[in-house]
Parts: sequence; C-alpha cells; structure tokens
Amino acid sequence: MSLPEAEIGAVGTTGGRDPADVAPPTGLWKDALGRLRRDRSAMAGLAVIACFAFLAIAAPLIAPEPPSSRTYLERLEGACCPGPSAGHLFGLDDLGRDALSRVIYGARTSLLISVVSVAIGLGIGLVLGALAGYVGGAADAVVMRLVDIMLAIPALLFAIGLVAALGPGLVQLMVAVGVVNVPIFARLLRGSMLSVRESDYVSAARSLGLRPARILFVHVLPNALSPVIVAATLAMATAIVEVAGLGFLGLGNPDPSVPEWGSMLANTPRFLASAPHLALFPGIAIVLAVLGFNLIGDGLREALDPKFRR
Amino acid sequence: MAWYVVRRFALAVPVLFGVSLLVFLWVRALPGGPAQGLLGERADPAAVEAVERQYGLDRPVYEQYGRYVGSLVRLEFGQSITSHQPVLSEIARRFPATAELTAAAMLFAVAAGVPLGVLAAKRRQTWVDQASLVGSLIGISIPIFFLALLLKYVFAVRLGWLPSIGRLDALLSLPHPTNLYTVDALLAGDWEAFADVLRHLLLPAIALGTIPLAIIARITRAAVLDVISEDYVRTARAKGIARRLVDRRHILRNALLPVSTVVGLQTGLLLSGAVLTETVFAWGGIGTWIYDAIRFRDYPVLQGGILFLAVLFLLVNLLVDLSYALIDPRVRYR
Repeated sequence: MSLPEAEIGAVGTTGGRDPADVAPPTGLWKDALGRLRRDRSAMAGLAVIACFAFLAIAAPLIAPEPPSSRTYLERLEGACCPGPSAGHLFGLDDLGRDALSRVIYGARTSLLISVVSVAIGLGIGLVLGALAGYVGGAADAVVMRLVDIMLAIPALLFAIGLVAALGPGLVQLMVAVGVVNVPIFARLLRGSMLSVRESDYVSAARSLGLRPARILFVHVLPNALSPVIVAATLAMATAIVEVAGLGFLGLGNPDPSVPEWGSMLANTPRFLASAPHLALFPGIAIVLAVLGFNLIGDGLREALDPKFRR
Repeated sequence: MAWYVVRRFALAVPVLFGVSLLVFLWVRALPGGPAQGLLGERADPAAVEAVERQYGLDRPVYEQYGRYVGSLVRLEFGQSITSHQPVLSEIARRFPATAELTAAAMLFAVAAGVPLGVLAAKRRQTWVDQASLVGSLIGISIPIFFLALLLKYVFAVRLGWLPSIGRLDALLSLPHPTNLYTVDALLAGDWEAFADVLRHLLLPAIALGTIPLAIIARITRAAVLDVISEDYVRTARAKGIARRLVDRRHILRNALLPVSTVVGLQTGLLLSGAVLTETVFAWGGIGTWIYDAIRFRDYPVLQGGILFLAVLFLLVNLLVDLSYALIDPRVRYR
C-alpha cells in the first residue's frame, strides 16, 4: 500500500527532538514491519504459524498415512486405542486411524476454516463498519443496533445456533464462525473511522478539495485499518478456538476423511481413562496455533501503535 | 444516578426485541420442525400436523411472532416440547447451577488474578513478571474444553483426588430450596455435603476461570503500573504513609476500575464457556440444556433460554457500568 508523501512524513514524525538525530522518515508499514522483526515473541509466533501452514500445505507429503486409513488390530479388542509407539508416534484413535496423520491433516482443515471465517467476518464487518462510521446518520443507527443485538447473544451459542440452522458442513462452519465475528469488526472499524475522520490531516485533505472517495480510500481507510489488522490476527486465534469448540460439541465437519482438531477431541471424553493421548495431541496443536496467533497479534499491536515506539 | 439507570434500561428494550426477533426467525430456520424433532424423521404426517397445531406452528409466521412477544410480556416462555415442563421453571431449576459455576470461576479468577497482577507489576521485569506473562499467554490460548479434559484426567482419573462429573455425590442427599448447592448445603447445615459440593465445583471452576484469570492478571499489572507513577502515590509515600496502606488505598483502589470492567465483560463471556465446561463435567446447567434443545429442536426452550442469557448479559454489562460509580467517585451519571 502506498501512501502519499505528505502523510508518510506525518506518520514518521518523532515529536520535538532535534531534526539532526531523527532518522529519515519511513512509511507506516515499513516502520511497523521493522519493529515487528525485532519483537522476539512475535517472531516465535510467526514461526509456529509458519510451521502449521507448512504442515497444512504439505500434509499429503508429510503425513505417514492418509487421514482415514485404518489399522485393524484385532488383538486389541476391548482396550481402546494403543498409545504412542514407533510406528504411530501419536498412537491410534478409536477407529484405528493414525493420530499423527490426522493432526497434520487437521492443521489443513482448522487453519482453512479459521482463515475463511475471519475473512467472511472481516468482509461483512468492514462494509458495515465503514457504512456506519463514514456515512453516519441513519445507517450508523441501524448498523449499531444490529451490532448490539448480535453482541447480546453469547458468541459460542450464536455459532452453535447458526450451525444448527445452516446444517453440518465445512462451508457452514466457516459462515457460522465468520458471522459471529461481524459485530466485533464492524464496531472496531466504525470507532476507528470516526476518530480518523475528525483528524487534522483529513480536514486538511478536505479543505484542499480532494474528492470524498479519494479521502476515504487514501487517507481514512489506511489509517483506520491498523487496529483492524491487529483484531483480525487475534480473531484468527478466537476462530480456531470457536471452530474447535463446535467440533468438540459434535457440530464440526461431518466428513471423517477431513479431520479437524476440535472434532478429534469430540470422542475423547469417553476414552479419557484408557487413551488420554487421543485428547492430548490435537489439544496441544490447538494451544500452539492459538498461542502463535496471539503472539503475532500482540506484536502487531505494538508495532502498529506509534505510542509503543521506542 | 436513578435517571441514568432508567435510561439504560430503556435503551436495552429495543435490543431485547431485536434479540427476540432474531432468535424467533433463527428457530424457524432450523431444518426439520419441532414435531419432527419430537416424533422422529419418519413420523406419521398426521401426527406431525397434530403436534404443529397443538403448539400453534401451523399459523402464519408473523402471527406466531406476535403471540410469542405477547407471551414474553406476560413472562410466559411456554413449555418445553421434550420435557413438558414450563420453560421458566426449567430456567429456575437450571440457572442456579450455571450461576454457581460462573461465580466460582470468577471468584477463582479474581482471587488469583489480582494478586498475581499486582505481584507482576511490583516485580516488574524480573522472572516473576516474565513467568506471569508466559503463564497468562498460555492461559488465554488454551481452549476451555481441552483444559477441562486435562484437569479431569490428572485430578479425577489419575490421582482420584476430585470427582469427575456432576455437582454432588450420588450417595449424599440434600434438600434443594435454592438449587445453589453450596447455599443449600449451608442452609441444611450439612458440612459433609458442603465439602462435597466444593470438591465437585473445583475442577469446572478452574477450567472455566483460567481465561479470565489470565486476562485479569494482565489488566491488573498494567493498571497498577499506570497508577504507581501517579503524583498522589509519590505524595503519599513522601508523607510517610505505611507502604502497605499506600498499596491498598492509593494504588489498588485506583487500579481496580479497569479490572472491574474486565470482570464484568468476562462474566458475560463465561456464559458461553459454560456450555463447554458443563458438557465435559456433566453439569446440569443452562449451557447443556440449550445445547440439548438444539439437538431436539425444542423451540420454546431455545427461544426462552437464549433470550434469558441475552437479558442476563445486558444486565451484567449495566451492573458493570454502575459499579464504576461505586469504585470511582469522580464518575457521576446523569
């Protein structure tokens, strides 16, 4: 994203110090990226997510077995689920499927659902938020009441309800978790647009006679976006937890050949005493992925906020 | 203040109507009607029709909504299609279980989170601070149901220290005037039952309370650090007031304002988390009830239950706003 020269200067200002020791002004994004790179915990989070993304993309090459291939072990009848062994590092699940392979393939499903659902929430939320924040008036009133109503229903119940209404399936899951995110993004973008709209550089642009569309896309949106980017990253973490929660409650993806971490945990309470490993590995995968996104989100927040600048 | 309360309540009314409409329409969008949920997918069409007529489901949708709102105003939530109990009495019976769990979880979160946050702030940039940061990051990132399963495995299955499901040992009997088992046990003066109720409460409360604990610890730390550098704290110290007194009266009391906001917001979120916790620990509260209602398409339960939770959520948020005035005398509502 390119910003006009004047604005880059404005963002890069460092206050009342002697201009001689001030570094040459850099753009908002370049500057933020530089600070993010120096943030060790954000980089750790990025590494974790990069690993999961790699697992997700290369799953068929890495996974020792296809996700739904079964190992039949007649001699183990009755006693469910052999634990970790050399042949099956994460053990076998209640249907004799290799848990490691399913965790690897699960990265695919879980990440895909989360990314798409955040994109859905972001897309609808941004349109609504921009409408409310920039157009204002009646549009603002209608959108904000809608947001209030949606926020009054506890998120997980809302998602459960949507899945129940839409029916089981991958797409339905994405839509359900996405819609739950809509009010959060809408409210955030509205607030941030309201404050940017009143800022001096926007009044300056307006008094220079720039067209409203140009002001919106060049001046307002880029500056209103940084809290949204942070929120979207943190929403990835929430989405993974929500998708896993739905899966755990048995409302996840019904297709057993497309494993998902939460659904992998759905059956485990029954086998908790005899096969705790079934819960352990997908659970750890969820924790790591959520932790990764949280670390990146926190790092982005500090990198994008001029207040944290050192 | 009174005027402010009235106005806030008035503002909540349209939101509640919106929620009721949303819930009403959503319930109608569920695949397969309640008659099918009740009678099974291969039910006799005549029987389905009879059930639909009995519950007024054969009327036009707007008429159904009108009747629904009319009954809400009269505080009639209808009858569960599966249990044939009035929805309101089921809420009265089950809500105390969820309330008890939520309160215990929040108590745990505040009791552990506030001291942890204060400690981290006072030992800033030492290993205590670092450890609390890492701990709260993990606490925020661990899904409730996974933590619940881990706790259950370690403390109930492996060590056998605590019970794994339910609210009270099956061998103990207790009268339930309030359905808050802790209160019931105290009212009955039954200490054995009280101890048992607490033992049942411990694991679900920790599972549910860990996320708010982590958040409260972080917020407390930040708030204490904000306040600690204020002039009035320096003045108080310079006057020679005892350190402990400054900590309590000058620092903690002022740092508690942002913390109280978080406590309120998290209490609302706990209602969501309660569904998962209640499922793992077979806790007969409102979360499992609504979850079952979705599986059986129990329309009246869904409408009443979700509306009830929404009312509760709005009420909690209102209480949070009002609590500002109690904690911070500068806040005055008009």
